[in-house]
Amino acid sequence: MASSAAPAPAFAAAPAATGQSGLWSWLTTVDHKRIGMLYLWTSLAFLFVGGTEAFILRLQLAHPNGQVVSAEVYNQLFTMHGTTMIFLVVMPLSAAFFNFLIPLQIGARDVAFPRLNAFSYWVYLFGGIFITLPVFFNVAPDAGWFGYAPLTTNQFSPGIHIDFWVLGLQILGVSSLAAAVNFITTIIHMRAPGMSMARMPMFTWMSFVVQFMLVLAFPAITIALFFLQFDRFFGTQFYELAAGADPLLWQHLFWIFGHPEVYILVLPTFGLVSEITPTFSEKPLFGYNVMVFSGILIGFLGFGVWAHHMFAVGMGATADTIFGIGTMLIGIPTGIKIFNWIATMWGGNLRFTVAMKFAIAFVALFLIGGVSGVMHASPPTDLQQTDTYFIVAHFHYVLFGGSVMGIMGGIYHYFPKMTGRFLSEKLGNWHFWMFFIGMNLTFFPMHFSGMLGMPRRVYTYDAGQGWDTFNLISTIGVVFQGIGLFVFAYNFLKSWKGEKNAPGDPWSAGTLEWSIPSPPPEYNFAQLPIVTSRYPLWDIKHPERTAELRHSDPDTAVVAEAHGVPMLEQTETRTAKALGIPMPFPTIKPLFAALFMVMLFASLIFLHTASLQVAVVSMIGTTLLFIGAVYSWLTSPLE
Amino acid sequence: MNRTPTLRLGPTLMLVGAMLALAACSTQTYPNSTFTSHTDLNADINAVWNRVFVLGMAVFVIVELLLFYVIVRYRGKPGAPMPKQVHGNHTIEMIWTASPILILIPIIVPTVKTTFKTQAPAAAGSLQVEVYGHQWWWEFRYPELGIVTANELYIPTGKTVNFTLQTRDVVHSFWTPRLAGKRDLITNKVNHMWYTPDPALAEDVFNGFCAEYCGTSHANMRFRVYTVSQQDFDSWARHQKTEAIGSPALAAARVAADSAARRAPARASVIPAAAPAPVEDAGYVFPAGKMGAHTVPKTPMPASVKFDDALLAQGDAARGRTLITTPANLGKAGCLTCHVIKGEQAYVNDDVARGPNLTHVASRHTIAGGIYPLDPSHLAHWIKNAQVMKPGTSMNTFGLGEYSPLLKGKVTVGLTDAEIADVVAYLLTLK
Repeated sequence: MASSAAPAPAFAAAPAATGQSGLWSWLTTVDHKRIGMLYLWTSLAFLFVGGTEAFILRLQLAHPNGQVVSAEVYNQLFTMHGTTMIFLVVMPLSAAFFNFLIPLQIGARDVAFPRLNAFSYWVYLFGGIFITLPVFFNVAPDAGWFGYAPLTTNQFSPGIHIDFWVLGLQILGVSSLAAAVNFITTIIHMRAPGMSMARMPMFTWMSFVVQFMLVLAFPAITIALFFLQFDRFFGTQFYELAAGADPLLWQHLFWIFGHPEVYILVLPTFGLVSEITPTFSEKPLFGYNVMVFSGILIGFLGFGVWAHHMFAVGMGATADTIFGIGTMLIGIPTGIKIFNWIATMWGGNLRFTVAMKFAIAFVALFLIGGVSGVMHASPPTDLQQTDTYFIVAHFHYVLFGGSVMGIMGGIYHYFPKMTGRFLSEKLGNWHFWMFFIGMNLTFFPMHFSGMLGMPRRVYTYDAGQGWDTFNLISTIGVVFQGIGLFVFAYNFLKSWKGEKNAPGDPWSAGTLEWSIPSPPPEYNFAQLPIVTSRYPLWDIKHPERTAELRHSDPDTAVVAEAHGVPMLEQTETRTAKALGIPMPFPTIKPLFAALFMVMLFASLIFLHTASLQVAVVSMIGTTLLFIGAVYSWLTSPLE
Repeated sequence: MNRTPTLRLGPTLMLVGAMLALAACSTQTYPNSTFTSHTDLNADINAVWNRVFVLGMAVFVIVELLLFYVIVRYRGKPGAPMPKQVHGNHTIEMIWTASPILILIPIIVPTVKTTFKTQAPAAAGSLQVEVYGHQWWWEFRYPELGIVTANELYIPTGKTVNFTLQTRDVVHSFWTPRLAGKRDLITNKVNHMWYTPDPALAEDVFNGFCAEYCGTSHANMRFRVYTVSQQDFDSWARHQKTEAIGSPALAAARVAADSAARRAPARASVIPAAAPAPVEDAGYVFPAGKMGAHTVPKTPMPASVKFDDALLAQGDAARGRTLITTPANLGKAGCLTCHVIKGEQAYVNDDVARGPNLTHVASRHTIAGGIYPLDPSHLAHWIKNAQVMKPGTSMNTFGLGEYSPLLKGKVTVGLTDAEIADVVAYLLTLK
């Protein structure tokens, strides 16, 4: 692995990563770009699963006393819709961009631990399958995505529904934590010469903040889940009511994770939007420093406001007040970001590509989620709003209007870089408008149904409650979103097979990833770049754009000389082997390590479905296999 | 591209329009609206809401208009000159860092005041009501009055009610949207909430819901709140604390049966003789005619539970009472193993009963956690196969030959339809 900027010595390269196609090459890849693509494909597949779940939920609620699915099935579907969209769609969609973009943006040849990176992906895939499969057998988790104890204990949830949830989230946590450690190391250690922290692209900055949030937030839910796991499988009493358990233990631990998780879901999108808006405004990002600091501040404050999910539990006026005010304060850095995006566009020469439309829609819709967020940051008003459809409207404006719309913008923006092909702008426009209209039709009326008394998570509601029209509109909106999703799928698949005609820098952007061919060669940069400003590519191609900026080298001639011609637009497409660049070997071992680890977790299910003996034998067997796979992985040379 | 702004304005107009519509609409259209001031608590909440809403809307409208202006004004034109390159502006950034603080202060001040005011202990002399959550029904107790009832709560207007909130199983949340915000019922914890219904409030009924997901039938955990005059409340309370009386004829039969039991002690029933209760006026009950359409449950009856309503006319209350109070029948009609009927043999007390107290069940308007109206037909269907009538309920299937989802098989020891009609007749005497 290339670990620094030093020009690669001619390496006596053994079988380097040359296989670029075929199933085996995907199973063994350790290339961050291909792992990013795997994340992208997998999370989009899960998007269809989660979307189908949502569609069935909305069909059931289209009319009062709906009979589409039973209470049991509905409860499984809403639990899995939330779990899928958060852990299997939005987080891994962000991970797709972390993987693909971070090394490219900082001028590195791969991530710090390429095989750990592959391991993270395979754990995510197998964990996602593990937690999703029960949906098809009517044994899916059914206690909601925040699985409040004591509802999730054996006493109130016998059977294996919750087992899948507890174990599935533990598995997915391993994936997130491994990836976070990897990206933190990558960003700290592998930046190209001249890529100081103050020159890092905003997406990398926001991703950097998110990785720390993952490392700090996941231990909280891991502990909460271990307690529950031990209660369910080994008879401990952390949440056992008869033993005097306090159910608020779970709620606090969960939300200490759960609230930072919201920012984990949305900060990467802040980053993507901060890449898209300057490009299509033909101006640098307004207030770079403040954008960085506000992102860090959001991450920091995000850990101090978890109990605003719990204003109804009776924490007392003092705690309610502190958490309420703390929550409102997050509005300040978030507001700064919104103003800075608008200021970035102000005075620009706006090009309304599909990516730009998604980015603008993100700002407009996320604002709505932010405003309603302040409305329930106030404990007295929250007591009328919490656990109603008003909250459902709020977090869908944050996570759909915010995260998903922004990520979709990112996909349209980066698809040419990822594949060398353009997504159709015409189909993309259809996709955008179907999503924009559909999401507003679906989620805006929920503000009303909630404030008019409709509780969330109900599989049915009676006629004549004043909610019928709002619910019907919400369901109609989902049809628009569904059409948009299918247009997107068609666009994606068609372009995937389409003509390879995207140049290295199709949008005239300013950051490093656009200075290399599309798709980038396996080694990314034939010659490691020397970075002189926040928009190194603009320094060369549009010196007038960065000439006045204090952050740039004042003398553009010096800059151009420093970069040298190959930096301007690298066109090198020879293989790493031909260039003598050492690349990590492809290996199947992380896949097996991930598979055996997931099987090890899954063995616990045998305790409830088969016998102790079967479970123990299975656990010992998979443990040995896991250790074997890891040993074999660690003892094989990297490159 | 130029259409972008038009549609973005859509939500703004929708919101403003709908809010105006809401303000104009009566509670007929939105019978569970939270925008009411029927209690001091909700008036306080809405005062904060109004402040937050106006400021929030101001931010929303200004920022969306700004965005709208930018995308119209600066839309790209072919051959446009290079935009002026700006990397930031300290003054402007300071302004929009500080201005949110100026907006937040007028929100924070009433928030803090109201939070402390509404969470202070209730005034002395408040009416004490204990609320217990169960999967999936509500138990209401008036400890000072000796009343235990379920799913229908009576409160006098003009008097502060202090709710003590607890749960017998998982976490629930007590919510009557038109009267107050919600408060959770947390296991191994006691929560409080108090409010005073407006003295001017007419004899009225309000829908209540469980607002914290609590398992399979979370959606079927509803209740009603009746606000009544102090006088009517007293009348209701006086009657509710009496034992189950039943009809005068049934009461007379009970007295006769009890004296017969005393004459033949060898054949004495294990059921102790109930003290002959004086037959008194049935007390105030919220009039059925005043139940608004939104408070009468309209849950459709599952097609698979069939009961011939013609049998109900032949139901005999005395036979029904004998059926459920004869110990030998506990296997097929074990009502009293989960329900308390004050005055009848008690196999459980209210603290461990799994089902609602039925002492005055016939004085209620709903059954099954408020999802069905209380009438002979619904009662009969409910007893026959509650498992199908309400998913996940702990009430067994009692209809002989019915499929029970709980047993995953047919009920072999159960009640015939005629026997169910008798039990229904008896329950309906429990005014």
